[in-house]
Amino acid sequence: MSAPRAAARRARPSPWALLLAAVLAWLVVYPLLIVAGDAFRADAGAFARSPAEWGALWASVWTSTASVGLAAMVGVPLAFVFERYDFPGRKTLGALVALPAVMPPLVGVIAFQFLYGESGFVSRAIQAVLGTAHAPWRLQGPVAILLVHAYSMYVYFYLFTRAGLARLDASMLEAAASLGAGPWRTFRRVTLPLLKPALAGAALLTFMTALASFSAPYIFGGGFRTMTTQIVATKLNGDDAMAMLETAALTIIAVLVFVGIQKTEGDRLVVSVGKGTPPALRRIANPVTRRLAAAAGWLLTTLLLLPHATLLLVSLVPDGTWTIQALPPRYSVGNYATLFEDAERLRPLLNSLWMAAVATAAALALAVAAGQVVARGKGRLAGVVSALVTLPWAVPGTVLAIALAALFSVRSALTLRWVLVGTAVILPLAYTIRSLPLAGRAVFAGFRQLDPSLDEAAQSLGAGRWRRLWRVTLPLLKPALAAGGGLAFITALGDFVVSILLYTFDTRPISIEILSSLRLGSVGVAAAFGVVLMVVSAVALGVSARVGAAGVA
Amino acid sequence: MNDFLRIEGLVRAFPERRAVDDLTITVARGEFLALLGPSGSGKTTTLRLLAGFESPDAGRILVEGEDVTRLTPVARRFGMVFQHYALFPHLDVGENVAFGLTERGAAATDRVAQALAMVDLAGFERRRVTELSGGQQQRVALARSLAPSPRVLLLDEPLSNLDPALRERTRRELREAIARIGITTVFVTHEQEEAFDLGDRIAVLNQGRLEQVGSADDLYDHPASEFVARFIGRVNELPGALAGGGEGTALVRPEALRLVATAEAALRGTVTARRFAGGYAFFTVATDGGGVEVFAPHDAARIGDAVGLAVDRVAYRL
Repeated sequence: MSAPRAAARRARPSPWALLLAAVLAWLVVYPLLIVAGDAFRADAGAFARSPAEWGALWASVWTSTASVGLAAMVGVPLAFVFERYDFPGRKTLGALVALPAVMPPLVGVIAFQFLYGESGFVSRAIQAVLGTAHAPWRLQGPVAILLVHAYSMYVYFYLFTRAGLARLDASMLEAAASLGAGPWRTFRRVTLPLLKPALAGAALLTFMTALASFSAPYIFGGGFRTMTTQIVATKLNGDDAMAMLETAALTIIAVLVFVGIQKTEGDRLVVSVGKGTPPALRRIANPVTRRLAAAAGWLLTTLLLLPHATLLLVSLVPDGTWTIQALPPRYSVGNYATLFEDAERLRPLLNSLWMAAVATAAALALAVAAGQVVARGKGRLAGVVSALVTLPWAVPGTVLAIALAALFSVRSALTLRWVLVGTAVILPLAYTIRSLPLAGRAVFAGFRQLDPSLDEAAQSLGAGRWRRLWRVTLPLLKPALAAGGGLAFITALGDFVVSILLYTFDTRPISIEILSSLRLGSVGVAAAFGVVLMVVSAVALGVSARVGAAGVA
Repeated sequence: MNDFLRIEGLVRAFPERRAVDDLTITVARGEFLALLGPSGSGKTTTLRLLAGFESPDAGRILVEGEDVTRLTPVARRFGMVFQHYALFPHLDVGENVAFGLTERGAAATDRVAQALAMVDLAGFERRRVTELSGGQQQRVALARSLAPSPRVLLLDEPLSNLDPALRERTRRELREAIARIGITTVFVTHEQEEAFDLGDRIAVLNQGRLEQVGSADDLYDHPASEFVARFIGRVNELPGALAGGGEGTALVRPEALRLVATAEAALRGTVTARRFAGGYAFFTVATDGGGVEVFAPHDAARIGDAVGLAVDRVAYRL
């Protein structure tokens, strides 16, 4: 019987695939192993006895859970309104509502501070109206954090639910209606179960993002610490071993939740209903209701765009001119001028651009290499490579940064460790690892849509490995590369959490410059940097969407 | 016989089953061989082994005596037309056809024009492949595989993707184009009609094994196995003793049965149904041993008649 021999022969992977798996493991798993190793040297008793540690851990878990609830409460109804009802301005508003997605986390946080903070726009307006000398509230602690999270993360629920609703086959709802189910029963028994995969996906994404959130707790936390800020504080206090233990604890929570949700819901994520005709938009007939719906939509959109507008406004105020007035007395483009005239000020922007570009290119290259292994192989290696590409997604940025800092601060070629901390290499490397799951998800999806016989056809026509990659695979993957590349680029460009732990002065990225400008009181310059970051992100996403659309034959 | 392409003792084993099991077939130069079999019979795997996309666990593939078993797909110089054509959607018709050429510049342009002319698509170079009809796409795929002048042409169910109305015409065009070029061709199909119409000879595969190879007449009149007898055409199962003697069961084609007077027949029954088919009809005759199908002149009997059955020929004896 030659069947076992045949199986053994096919299971033998190519040396290239093995090399790729090794490189990915070195980038993704090895740093975490170093953390685990160092964590064992920490005083676990001190960790277990410290109420501060348990408090931070609990804070991370409950704020993340609450963020999921709040984001769902905003995002899901919004999705239903935009997907089911027609009212004036629906298309434009529907697109604008997704805008918080292009706001880098730190920029969103400072925009919130400018808007709702103690000396922010809204509290000044209230002070002016009421004539009080004190701010009506302090934007601090868990409430502030949850506010920012709900604002920046409802987008996941909104987009996932809309996509889920668009895939829903109208005939199912009609079938339910013809069987005598009322609207509520149809919603509960048909719509909701069919949306479950989309909702589970959004919940997972929100929870992981909230758990890893650093900017909001860092700026607004005050005495309230989540695990991410606790780690950074411990690290800055010089207690490296304890920081490692905290990092390990956060990683364990993240991976447990990730695996847990994937196990229970992941299998069903693919079983979405096939192609169907989505339900027709319901036109609101009553003219009064129509106006109300439109007005509510516009009001909501204004509310969502206020942080963007505030940032723009503050960026136009010369430093020191806006003191107690409700509105700034003077405007100028001076902040932008200093930003572009002063070479030293321009540097962070250029740093961010080149580092994000390098990281995007590297992440895409790794994703394509991994995609080829995953698409071709049915063996265990394909599963391992796919998991390695996805894993960084479950690893909070703080954890990754601490892990890389530990791995690359020792020179020991034998254990594949070099001193990269403090060099220009470390940040692009960290960005690459963070962007890898985003690039990977898009590229893998692209590979799944590729007909394998196209590659075989090229092979039978005499094209070698590289010519096939260049002439067939890459051109066909263009939409996927554009989509994945766009996301990878804006993630790297707007990164704050990894940067703050790994940057060097010469390679400081734009987010670090925003923070130091704030600390120095140059609020207008910080805001100008934020606006530039937002514009570059939006342009990058726009370009990627256009390239992606043009790539579809 | 002029052995141009020879498959020798080919084996391809998957963990759960042997997809191709000790297959030996010889194809003459310029011959059109159809690989016919139900799904799972190993015909597609055989074609992929020939193309070089899979490698056999045992056996050899020879072209003009040269062993090509370990050669890469391109080094074998075989052309392949895929089931869904696998045209590159981002390249136009001309670029698709030129993809496999080693020539560049004017020589390539000429070769592309020639290949397109061969399939009646002259002047289609700058069309997008997505704008073409299914039949045209199939011909572009054929032109692309023929452009590098392969030694053998492999076709993987090239008609299955077309709607029935187009299929017959495309089949005729395919037959004419290949006859004009005179290339040795191996063609996979699960449609008997296609195999009979296109193949000079037909190889019937079942569970990875070769059941029989021969002309359509051979397979129909002299099936080499029970599988072939049952797979090709219709058969009735009759007790051997009633069909000219012998033990066991005899497989008899409907047209090899005659309706005769009850007195002369060892086998008797009642006509229960008649399906009209022009001058002839299929009669269902209920006998003690079950229903029997007889193909006879349409006026040979009426429903309810008691009839006798005479056996002219036995297709296969079990």
